[in-house]
Amino acid sequence: MILDLERFQAQARPRWRDLELLLAALESRPDRRLNPAEAEQLQELYAQIAADLNRVTHGALAPELRQYLERLVARAYAELYYAPPMRSEIWQPRRWLRIFTAFPETFRRHARYFALAVLITLLGCAFGGLAVRYDPAAVDVLLPVDYLRNPGQRVHDEEQRQGQHLNSAQTEAAFSAQLIRHNIEVALLAAALGVTFGIGTALLLFENGVLLGAVAVHYTQQGFGLFMTAWLLPHGVFEIPSILIAGQAGFYLARLLLRRREDRNVRQSMREWLVLVAGLAMMLVWAGLMEAFFSQHHAPVLPYGFKVAVAAAELLLLTIYLLMIGRRGIGTEARSGVPSESR
Amino acid sequence: MTDTPLTRASTAAELTIATPEGVVFRLPLAGPPSRLYAMLLDIVIVLGTVNGGGLLVYWIFSKAPGFGFMVITLAEFAIGFAYSALLEGFWNGQTIGKRLFHLRVIDQDGLPLRIEQAWVRNLMRVFDALPFAYLAGGLSVLSSPLMQRFGDRVAGTLVVRQTPLAAPVEEFWMRQKYNSFMDYPAIAMKLRRAATPELATLIQDALRRRQELAAYARREIYRELVTYLQCEISPFPDELIEKLSDEQYLINASGILFGEQRPSRVRV
Repeated sequence: MILDLERFQAQARPRWRDLELLLAALESRPDRRLNPAEAEQLQELYAQIAADLNRVTHGALAPELRQYLERLVARAYAELYYAPPMRSEIWQPRRWLRIFTAFPETFRRHARYFALAVLITLLGCAFGGLAVRYDPAAVDVLLPVDYLRNPGQRVHDEEQRQGQHLNSAQTEAAFSAQLIRHNIEVALLAAALGVTFGIGTALLLFENGVLLGAVAVHYTQQGFGLFMTAWLLPHGVFEIPSILIAGQAGFYLARLLLRRREDRNVRQSMREWLVLVAGLAMMLVWAGLMEAFFSQHHAPVLPYGFKVAVAAAELLLLTIYLLMIGRRGIGTEARSGVPSESR
Repeated sequence: MTDTPLTRASTAAELTIATPEGVVFRLPLAGPPSRLYAMLLDIVIVLGTVNGGGLLVYWIFSKAPGFGFMVITLAEFAIGFAYSALLEGFWNGQTIGKRLFHLRVIDQDGLPLRIEQAWVRNLMRVFDALPFAYLAGGLSVLSSPLMQRFGDRVAGTLVVRQTPLAAPVEEFWMRQKYNSFMDYPAIAMKLRRAATPELATLIQDALRRRQELAAYARREIYRELVTYLQCEISPFPDELIEKLSDEQYLINASGILFGEQRPSRVRV
């Protein structure tokens, strides 16, 4: 069939204009909700203009007109099939607070990826620790930064600098910001490296483990075990688990990408990945503050025993939080907290 | 989420969506250059905002520059991600840069992207930016049939071009009331019968594009079409042809081919 384009356009133009007006009105509405009359009108115009598009596609050589109609159909299609979250849903404080329960819930739901992250890190620790233990030359290779190589010097420096630390809340604030930023960047990278099917995540965790193990053994060998524990653990008990959770998120992402397309519940999965990332970011904020404001103070200002006790208390609280919070009514709350599917 | 059966068959330049109702439409994909420009513009905007805001923060914290530095460092970091994620999530898939370059992020099923997708694709920038200058992301775009960077692949999104299109205007030449070919119903009938659909569309296309064609090209094309029609299809008498320009000839022919101005008086 040949289409008389001009006559066809003259006839169809009014309905194209109607649809354009309706779409412009809808798109400017923040919640994009339709009332029943509009829904009916949209449905009807969509059907007509889809038919117009089919006629132009198959009956005429009119690339511009076809593009124009395609654009209209695409916009109408988006309005018909997509329901954005209600504005009231987005701005409810309760929804935002739910992250605090959603995080431990998600963490537990995907505990096996966490276990994998722990395993790889432990392997790294063992490798680093054993290397330093049996081959002192490995220190130069594994610990690239000078201060890590000379614990005695470092401890001396740290303990001497007490006076400066006391009056430098300013410096500590600036330092904490840099730490938070850097740590979140690294953690986010570990979570994003899941895209390499987890290989990148595993390498990053392993490297992290090697460094950790090497430092631990090296300092302990030289008799600074207590100093190191008190120096690293107050923030480490949050920092290390958060990197492990980043690894968990990375492996979770890798698993998702390896799944066949039909088996993926992409929407839910993306939300879980985001929840893990948001949770670990919160942990790293705390870790950064602790590292700058607390960890850098040494005996005699803060006795090492006290610092270790604080670290233990933190670890206990974190464990309770991750294992216990959100347990009650997971089913009901998860269902009511997630907005209904948009289709 | 993809529970509706959508078929996706796409070339390098476009995404083709077949809706459940059997409508097929295409969306043109955005190439790397325009995306790069949009991103650079967004970076300038973010840096400008952060530095402008930074001056204010330093002024507020002038007694405590360390805290000022802390606020700025963290704000810069957060804004770097939140700027794109929030704008794309709540502003129709567009940042300021994307809007100026007529780009838009959408779900790969042709629907608007959701806020989670906006966050995921922007957080994944830490990977796409590796090892430097978005090399990973750029290679991903070039190797992907849907021009997706890794963040897009994970989030299930893509970037389309969205140049504004105006509704096609009514053409002057279809408004003519009188068609002199109607005076020769037998020949007009012959024209209607003999012209193939391709020829008919060709004539109409030639007319519609008169503004796009250079004057000499238009003259040539119209001349050739008229000669062909006169010689092969429907020889209208010379005394009529002499009075008509080539363009008018084609307008008349198109009126006969498509119009309701059919020479219906002839029933032989």
